[in-house]
Amino acid sequence: MTTPRGTLRRYAGLAVLLTGVGLRRLVSYRSDFLVGVGAFALRVVLHALLLGVIYRHVTDIAGWTFREAVLLLGVAMLVRGIDHAFTDQLWELGRKLVQRGELVRYLVRPVHPLFSLLSERFCYPEGIGEAVAGLAVIGYAAGGLDLDLDPARLVVFAVLLLAGALVFAAVKLLLAALAFWTTTSLQVMTAVYELADTARYPLDVFPWPARLLLTGVLPFALTGFVPADYLLHGPSLLTWLAPLIGGALTALALRVWSLGVRRFEAVGP
Amino acid sequence: MIEAHELTKVFRMRADTRPGLWGAVRGLFSAETTEVRALDGVSFTVPAGERTAYLGVNGAGKSTTIKILAGVLTPGSGHCRVDGREPRADRNAHARAIGVVFGHRTQLWWDLPVTESFRILARLHDLPPALAEANRLLFDELLDLGEIADRPVRTLSLGQRMRAEIAAALFHAPRVLLLDEPTIGLDLLLKDAVHELVNRVARERGTTVLLTSHDVADISAICERVVVVDAGRVVHTGYLHELLRRAPTRTVRLEYAGDVDPAAFAHHIRLELGDPVTVTPAGRRRVTVQGPPELVTPQRVLAAVTGLVAVTDLVAPEPTLGEVLRALYVAPQPARGGR
Repeated sequence: MTTPRGTLRRYAGLAVLLTGVGLRRLVSYRSDFLVGVGAFALRVVLHALLLGVIYRHVTDIAGWTFREAVLLLGVAMLVRGIDHAFTDQLWELGRKLVQRGELVRYLVRPVHPLFSLLSERFCYPEGIGEAVAGLAVIGYAAGGLDLDLDPARLVVFAVLLLAGALVFAAVKLLLAALAFWTTTSLQVMTAVYELADTARYPLDVFPWPARLLLTGVLPFALTGFVPADYLLHGPSLLTWLAPLIGGALTALALRVWSLGVRRFEAVGP
Repeated sequence: MIEAHELTKVFRMRADTRPGLWGAVRGLFSAETTEVRALDGVSFTVPAGERTAYLGVNGAGKSTTIKILAGVLTPGSGHCRVDGREPRADRNAHARAIGVVFGHRTQLWWDLPVTESFRILARLHDLPPALAEANRLLFDELLDLGEIADRPVRTLSLGQRMRAEIAAALFHAPRVLLLDEPTIGLDLLLKDAVHELVNRVARERGTTVLLTSHDVADISAICERVVVVDAGRVVHTGYLHELLRRAPTRTVRLEYAGDVDPAAFAHHIRLELGDPVTVTPAGRRRVTVQGPPELVTPQRVLAAVTGLVAVTDLVAPEPTLGEVLRALYVAPQPARGGR
């Protein structure tokens, strides 16, 4: 069990077990879950309608046609869905786990505390649903586009999707972990999440300061634009930078998290 | 098994004392903080297999110590070892070695039945299937899980839940059990049930127990040793029965037959025993004698009344732990707590 492979197998087994636990728990909140699914479906329809309305007036936005923009929307949904399916519990960290000292329960189990925390909502159905909906949207868009889909290209695309999901997760972890210093950080998380919606639009429509922000500071461009741009227009500098940025941001977020756990005050009786 | 060496912990809090809206606005721009010294150099050891009570008034630093030993809080300075390990050095190994209950804070899976929590714990701790099954049967019997087995934890009563929490903390057969106020809010019967649960399992397995409680019944039912903290420092360690002997006052109750004037009789005993002793007539032909232990012994009381009355009953009850503790708490009780 001390070998890396043994550890990996142990965690994989636990992930399967805890995924089952999470799904069973949803049963106790079935109506809450159904309302959530309905609200999400409404959002998808609204985003699609908005794109449709815009493209009734213009033929392209910054060189992106309607189909291409729909592809971008699908990619953004897919990436967001992958992240959503595994790290949704971070919202609770920013909202109340530090404020109420409830994080202690994750610190006294013989697994990595972050794994323990995230495992409360592994394979969260809302996230899976979002990813599946994203795939469907991509499929619809691809039907009207002439895409070059050789295997090597698909592998790079998959890596970019993963890097995008890492960016999402890392930013969320970073902001949620701020709660260790500020007690709660839900508001800043919500604000930044709004910004993440920009991932749905071609980067070229923004002025350069916003482009810099979305690639260098809060690189949400990586969670939609970069993979979609690669699929449509081939590699660019950002294609090669994306995995590095995703990895670096994740490392930073993990560091901030462990510093935060060290100063966690475990308030409450 | 548990060693704490010069542990300190200071909590810094933003000064939030000004009332009203204006006070709140000023508070936003002030960098003022107040320091709360929760632990001020706490050292003690608990030998393997011993059950020790960790006592103190609210805010004395009990919970803070337990949190540090459990590895969820980093001490400001000093160090501690539990089962030979610094709690934060190897979190996984530490988590396997300890079981912990933090008052009302749940560690069960809130939306699942207790049995399901046990199943997850068995997997998290990699318990061999035979041991997991044996534990499940043991706690099934001890907790009488039959009636609550399929109900989500959140629907359990406080008593049912607290017993389930303790069972969950003991499920992976830890070598050290840390209990922070395990019986708070429970009635007498449920307290007894908790005592039985801890005693049965911890005694059988030789588990080292550190327990904080305000309840004297918890302490005398479970523990043989005590560590007393006050204002962030240890003020006493020793065996419970020795501590009881340190009571500042002893009481002797006497019943007698014979016709004497109660007031004169009381006065006579007081004169015989010496000055700080108080004697109060308590009902018909009964007196209560109270005073320093060296003056108020059953023998001296008996000697003082011999020849005046016929003694029909003489009782010298053990001092209560509450009395002893009150004398130990030297500092005035600070208005802290919640840590």
